[in-house]
Amino acid sequence: MRLKSKKRSTLLGTALATAAMMLPSVQFASADVAPERGIISFKYLNYSERQGALGSSSSSSGSVSESKEVEDKIEKESGSKKENAVWVDLVSGASTLTTATPSVVTPSSVSSTTGSSAQDRISVNAYSIMAMAPIAGKWSIATTYIHDSVSGASPTYHTSGLTHMKDTRDVADVQLTHYFSSGNVAVGTSYSKESDYLSKSYSLQGSLSTEDKNTTFTLGGSITNDTITPKTQPNVTSKKDINAALFGVTRVLSKNDIVQLNIGYSKGEGYYSDPYKYYDNRPGKRNNTTVMGKWNHHFDGSDGTSRTSYRYYTDTFGIRAHTLEGEYVQPLKHGWTVAPLLRIYTQTEADFYVATSAAEKANPSVVTTPSASAVYYSEDQRLSAFGALTVGLKVSKQLNPDWLVDVKVEMYEQRSDWALSGHADTALASFSARSIQLGISREF
Amino acid sequence: MDTFCFGFQAMGSGCEVVLVSTSNTEAQSIAALAIEEVSRIERKYSRYRSESIVSRINAVAGVEGVKCDDETLALFKYADILYSSSGGLFDITAGVLRRAWDFRSGVVPDEETLAPILALIGWKRVERHGKEVRLPLAGMEFDFGGFGKEYAADRAASIMHGKGVRHGYVNLAGDIRVIGPKPDGSPWMIGIQDPRNRERTIASLPLFTGALATSGDYERYFEVDGRRYCHIIHPRSGYPVAHWRSVTVIAPLAVTAGSHTTIAMLKEADGLGFLQESGFGYFAVDRLGQIYHKDV
Repeated sequence: MRLKSKKRSTLLGTALATAAMMLPSVQFASADVAPERGIISFKYLNYSERQGALGSSSSSSGSVSESKEVEDKIEKESGSKKENAVWVDLVSGASTLTTATPSVVTPSSVSSTTGSSAQDRISVNAYSIMAMAPIAGKWSIATTYIHDSVSGASPTYHTSGLTHMKDTRDVADVQLTHYFSSGNVAVGTSYSKESDYLSKSYSLQGSLSTEDKNTTFTLGGSITNDTITPKTQPNVTSKKDINAALFGVTRVLSKNDIVQLNIGYSKGEGYYSDPYKYYDNRPGKRNNTTVMGKWNHHFDGSDGTSRTSYRYYTDTFGIRAHTLEGEYVQPLKHGWTVAPLLRIYTQTEADFYVATSAAEKANPSVVTTPSASAVYYSEDQRLSAFGALTVGLKVSKQLNPDWLVDVKVEMYEQRSDWALSGHADTALASFSARSIQLGISREF
Repeated sequence: MDTFCFGFQAMGSGCEVVLVSTSNTEAQSIAALAIEEVSRIERKYSRYRSESIVSRINAVAGVEGVKCDDETLALFKYADILYSSSGGLFDITAGVLRRAWDFRSGVVPDEETLAPILALIGWKRVERHGKEVRLPLAGMEFDFGGFGKEYAADRAASIMHGKGVRHGYVNLAGDIRVIGPKPDGSPWMIGIQDPRNRERTIASLPLFTGALATSGDYERYFEVDGRRYCHIIHPRSGYPVAHWRSVTVIAPLAVTAGSHTTIAMLKEADGLGFLQESGFGYFAVDRLGQIYHKDV
């Protein structure tokens, strides 16, 4: 975020400054000083899932894998949020600092059969507090703390064998950015802890703009070290190391159009299996490549902005995924903004995914056995082929130049027969999720 | 997408409107609206235009009041706050001092010349009843020059923003209101003129949005016996201020920035404390060339 500038502690402190604001229409929107101010925000997120026709529950040993999945989403979304914020600034010229937001949705898998009675599954309550402050005009520091608690039941194989689980997670991260005339450099670190999972990450990212400032190149890298100590195997400590790199080009096409292309590559080595599932032995390496194109367009007539993006993902597990997303942000009178969103997702199954057998289809309490020759295997529904749809709406209101409140609701539906490619395991139950996020932020 | 720049003359100086647009035609029509707004304000408030409301009120000073429209009343209200916030230093009735100070002739007036003129200064004596504004003494006059240009910059920027402009600025002889950053999000770099060398700038300040204004002792002045007499005159002593060579303030509105620079100049040595308290970023050069700045 280009926060180049000044902290204005007593911005409207003087009667004189306030009086100037009262003059007939000398100011517009709330575009005056936003990028030069600090911000603190608080968000609350409630997420819950439902899935039809599940088998009976089994042992009550803690399970974290499912929660890990959901939580990863929280973090991922918050990351992309920040990115979006930068984008909007560029297009509109107005500027609202968006916060690291725990906004879930897209639990990238889980799935299902067409069952009759739906059951509640995982639910997450997350709280986050984020603060950003510009320093001396050339630096900014941003920090986020998230606490969330996950509870519910997660299947041990396919969509059956529910295991109850409960866990909490604490995440803290800090990022320091230095701005100079042709770009910026940011260093960051993050720390995440839950009862059986510890993750530490370090990142470095730089961006450089061309002389005419119409093109910006971004290059970044990160190192993540995870330590997993499964509750079911208290004496085992496993590790996972991931190195990732990102290259991006952002180009301003016109006053109203900005396009961006990002290519990311990540190389991971270590423990990828899920210790809480039956028949789960995954390769010890997972490399993935992501290509993403974005296009933001500003409509002069309505003053609204559309954001369209397409993302292609492929990894060495054999999963290939496509995500198409469209969002439209419409500012209205009196500080209101509405933003509907639609996201379409499809993925193929992992090479070692074991589909539901005829025997399991006939009797859900039968566990499908991987073939005797299989080296790697998993019955995790998140590695199956499926398609998903997310519909969301965000409404926010700028109460005054300092305070912003927002509400965001997203509904998610996932079905194996919606998979556009790959081999759908139609015996899996369909899956749905809902998330509601409330946020309040203050600039100072 | 291109950046279009339109230069024009207004309020006795060189001005420009800069905006980013997809077509020259569109840029031209928007710039024309902005420039028209600047000249509307000049026609309405310049004391050099006999048809302006300011000239009409001045013409009947000591005789009768003049009914004013809402915009004018809002500006008077702002002038009132300027007066009280500056401890009476920013006084829109102080313009009469130009009768004693002729910057072309370069003559320093004596006390006898100044005394009767000083007697005509006093915002507190202005009678305001409802929409009617009256100068109580013949010879008294209003001068909106202290904030008219800045107000025009804000209004013109506001009109451009209303027409969809998100990148660009309005520059009325150094009083600048930025609508939004360059199209790539980077700031406009604004050079601050060296108060002792017209050919040079002494600083370059980035501005994404908001406004910047500079007051200096170099705009209009003359020197006698090595002493500089500039156009910013203390309303009580009747003599030009001498503490600052130039003061630049960055604030959300050009009106706010401009008012702060003028008050800081008028407060002389106390100007620094005033700037500090305002909370806005500033860049000031004192009589010895010493630079003071914060948040720029």
